[in-house]
Amino acid sequence: MKFTYQWLLQHLETDISPEQIGDALTNLGLELESFSDYSSYSNFVVATIVDFKKHPNADRLNICQVDNGGKKQFQVICGAPNVKKGLKGIFATDGMYIPGSDITLKKGKIRGEISEGMMLSERELNLSDDHEGIIEISKDYSNGTDAVTALGLNDPIFEIGITPNRGDCLGVRGIARDLAAKDIGKLKPLNFKKIDELQFESPIKWSIAEDDNNCDYVVSRFFKDVSNLKSPEWLQQRLISIGLRPINALVDITNYITIDLGRPLHVFDADKIGNSLTMNLATDKDKILALDNKEYHLDASTTVIADQNKPLAIAGVIGGLESGCTETTKNVFLEVALFDPSKVAKTGRKLGINSDARYRFERGLDKAMVEEGLEYATFLINQICGGTVSKNISAGNIKIDKIEIPYDFSFFKKIIGIDLSKEDQANILNKLFFKVEDMNDKNCVVVVPSWRNDIRQPIDLIEEIIRVFGYDNIKVTTPNATSEELIIVKSSLNNKKNKVIKKLKKSLIANNYNEIITFSFHSSDAHRFLEGDKSLMLTNGISEEHAFMRNSMLYNHLEALESNRKKGNKNLNIFEVGPIYHTSNFQENILFGISSRLDFLNKKTPLPEYSFYSLTTEVSTFLKTLNFDIKQFNISRSQSNHYHPGQSAELHMGKKMIARYGKVHPLILENFPKLSNTYCFEIYFENLPIDTMARKSNIKIQESDFQYSEKDFSFIFAKDQNLYEVYRFLTGIDKKLIRQVEFFDEYLSPDIGDDNKSITFKITIQSIDKTLDEKDLEQIHQNIINKITDKFQAKLRS
Amino acid sequence: MDIHQVLKEATKAIESCNSQQQLQDVKVAYLGKKGKITGLLKLLKDFTLEEKKSKGAEINSIKAEVEVSIEKKLSVLKNQEINSRLSKEFLDISFPPLSQVEAKVHPISKTFDEVISIFGSMGYSVAEGPDIETDFYNFTALNIPEDHPAREMQDTFYIEDKDENGLPMVLRTHTSPVQIRTMINQKPPIKIIAPGRTYRCDSDSTHSPMFHQVEGLFINESANMSDLKGTLIEFCKKFFEVHNLKVRFRPSYFPFTEPSAEMDIAYSITNNELRIGEGDKWLEILGCGMVNPIVLENCKIDSSVFQGFAFGVGLDRITMLKHGLKDIRAFFSGNINWTSKSGFGLGDY
Repeated sequence: MKFTYQWLLQHLETDISPEQIGDALTNLGLELESFSDYSSYSNFVVATIVDFKKHPNADRLNICQVDNGGKKQFQVICGAPNVKKGLKGIFATDGMYIPGSDITLKKGKIRGEISEGMMLSERELNLSDDHEGIIEISKDYSNGTDAVTALGLNDPIFEIGITPNRGDCLGVRGIARDLAAKDIGKLKPLNFKKIDELQFESPIKWSIAEDDNNCDYVVSRFFKDVSNLKSPEWLQQRLISIGLRPINALVDITNYITIDLGRPLHVFDADKIGNSLTMNLATDKDKILALDNKEYHLDASTTVIADQNKPLAIAGVIGGLESGCTETTKNVFLEVALFDPSKVAKTGRKLGINSDARYRFERGLDKAMVEEGLEYATFLINQICGGTVSKNISAGNIKIDKIEIPYDFSFFKKIIGIDLSKEDQANILNKLFFKVEDMNDKNCVVVVPSWRNDIRQPIDLIEEIIRVFGYDNIKVTTPNATSEELIIVKSSLNNKKNKVIKKLKKSLIANNYNEIITFSFHSSDAHRFLEGDKSLMLTNGISEEHAFMRNSMLYNHLEALESNRKKGNKNLNIFEVGPIYHTSNFQENILFGISSRLDFLNKKTPLPEYSFYSLTTEVSTFLKTLNFDIKQFNISRSQSNHYHPGQSAELHMGKKMIARYGKVHPLILENFPKLSNTYCFEIYFENLPIDTMARKSNIKIQESDFQYSEKDFSFIFAKDQNLYEVYRFLTGIDKKLIRQVEFFDEYLSPDIGDDNKSITFKITIQSIDKTLDEKDLEQIHQNIINKITDKFQAKLRS
Repeated sequence: MDIHQVLKEATKAIESCNSQQQLQDVKVAYLGKKGKITGLLKLLKDFTLEEKKSKGAEINSIKAEVEVSIEKKLSVLKNQEINSRLSKEFLDISFPPLSQVEAKVHPISKTFDEVISIFGSMGYSVAEGPDIETDFYNFTALNIPEDHPAREMQDTFYIEDKDENGLPMVLRTHTSPVQIRTMINQKPPIKIIAPGRTYRCDSDSTHSPMFHQVEGLFINESANMSDLKGTLIEFCKKFFEVHNLKVRFRPSYFPFTEPSAEMDIAYSITNNELRIGEGDKWLEILGCGMVNPIVLENCKIDSSVFQGFAFGVGLDRITMLKHGLKDIRAFFSGNINWTSKSGFGLGDY
């Protein structure tokens, strides 16, 4: 919402500076977004381009001779396309600071030609973003006139953000009213004269259809024999100062009242419409060419203003082009109505129309202001355009509910935490035009003014009081954590989960994985390749890149790898902790890591080749940081088609998958020409027993100083024998003596049968009681051989 | 035989040795079983006792002298040999190592960690909720009815899938639905924070369709706006590591809090460097307020007994401010050059 200082003074009697008013607005909750004071621009002056010629060394530049009303002319090199002889613009000489481009002009040569100043664009003066050409101003101003006068910049401009609850401040008057409550000045009475001699019956009549349309009340007046010329200077200046374009007097008046009082109203050219108007619902055959020059197709959810033939306007949103007022308009029909906020919002959103009228209607108008709007508009039309005015013609009723809120003064301290006497509280409410009735020591009844549609419960009154009293006056108290709260924090599952995540992240960066964060989205391509759920499509995704919710992080990370590789990064390890989505009700937060390595040129420090087994080691390391031994999980081949079927694995704990890892499927990699030898892993940490695992103590192996013995065994197993099972079985044979089992070789050969594999492992045996002798060891070895042979139908290989 | 002559010879022989082997040979030649000095000792048996004593002592001292010389020579030779071997093992110590960048966590991870820890010390435990929400949790329960202009404060992403009321599912536009989920499932007192991903269909240099927020909620029988102010000032001081932090609370509007406020912190720019906490410019940091009684009632919490406050902080924004990062789009670019420049290594995380 934009307005100027002078405009505000029309409603507010004050001698407080514009800067202080800006602060007060923010403190009232009407946040000052920008304050533009151009009164310092008086150094810039009007100047005329008296002559120009092409720059000899640059096609687009001209050498201009500029007259700024002084003794000598200036030579200015200018690249603006609108340079012409006789053009009047705004001129700055060398030494002057140009605010829009943050430079100080220096006399110098441009492509060999001297330039002694600059003709300015609007952007160079920070007036707008327009940099298409230099400013052109009216020939009425003589050279040397200061820019403040010539451009009408003597009135500082406020732009404030109005929160959706404050529809009452979408008019300058409402803002003045709020400022007055904060003692920034005194609210002036509205300054206009009511037209008393209403002379004739309106030839156009109103009705409101008894369908579900959103109009409660409409009132109109007919103006005969007006002349709709340009608005007077003051009115044009008001509109220009806040960025609106003056059109003609009638349109300007309605625009002006919309901003001034926050009361939208509409004028029809009475000669272009029928004589019987209704508020009713449109049909889906209806369409309308609106004032924004666009055609809209309507339906039965939209309230329109229609005559006998067709819709003339979309109620509360926008008028029709054909029935609008132009310079030739002779007779005018003024309409002031009350529309239902949420229905106006719905219509506006559906049709995608953002108008000043919709903006105000959907935030709720002051129902009591219909009369005021009608009279004010009548006064201005009559004063500016002349003519005679009809009596009122209306339909429907204005229903204004009296809102009374029982209020307990002690509520203020309970909510805000500071004392404020009931008199002070009542005083603030009064200044905001609330009526405080039936006041006793404790309570009162507060009557809400008609324009405050947002105030309905006691807490709303608290907000009003503290808003005016000042948020700065609220104390600062810091509630300390109780020991009970700290225990809850410590035992909270989510806090523990975050600790797990932190441990994993630390382990990942220690192993040279860089963390990235990618969007939770999937592109259409990714969705197709990774077969996500269709119901996860975004209905209003901003691009193909954000078309679905992702069901995997693989694709986003392949894209990240590819783009990093294009930046020249060879050794790429990245990871992310984030969500994936299986359905709209099933989200999992996982850790995803991916690695794509190229051979190094550095032959002095070669790295071992990366393989599935290197990946296994890494995954094992990550799980180790959470006190899990990878061999304790149930391992199986992964069925996911994201992976190489022969070089990928899944780890399970019961039915829950804990991790999945392996080589990325070559078919998926085909889309990423820069990537090869790419491995990834997923850790489903939410499936871990997070709540109990922190408490789980590591199985403590008792230290022993007695001699240990190592023994290698080779067994022939079936080729698909799961070695994690063998490991778990082996360690279970004798938990006291078998200290360690390390698998270190695999041998495949037709000699042992194609369906078999020979596996060699080393077993470390140590007692905590004594040094084992030959006989003891022999017995243990034999036990191992017997049990393994038995359990797995394995054969000891000699 | 002149024993001194033998000593002279031996000393000369030891001196001329060039290897441990030669020295060993010399040792055998003089001190071995058939060695010259051993031979001299053997001759002693033919001498008189008197002579035995004097000659014997003389020969033994010469023997000891030779032994010492051999030992000395041996250590010299050993050193020579090791040095000569080591001299062949000299590496090019200036050969540079692999140019590796230190792997780092994303700055957001660091912020998550700090936020959880600061609020943890104030008694707030972590809560969470899903990214894909129902209309009820994201809007209605938070007192943002359909067709309310407040819905347009936030540009919402919708999902094809519908909730049980037939309304399209939404990507949560804020972390506030976690407030509702917590209040519905838990009785007061409630003291939680909920950090996480949030989404709005907005994308330009200062907006990203995905960003991070942390929600805070404290409900008991007495938590008031002064407590809210204190809590948030405390958080900002700890997070920005600024003791004298100049802040401003100003009225604002959120349908789910009343009174509502936005908190600004002061800053200044000197020599192109942003200084947080002092100066005459203001940066908006967070939105907050007292939980609207309507919201409490929506969650079946008796608003005549319980009250409290809520706040929401943009985590990307405070991360950018704290660490002087300029472009939010870089956060989600997946560019590891950026991570290694802006992130945190093992020592700092």
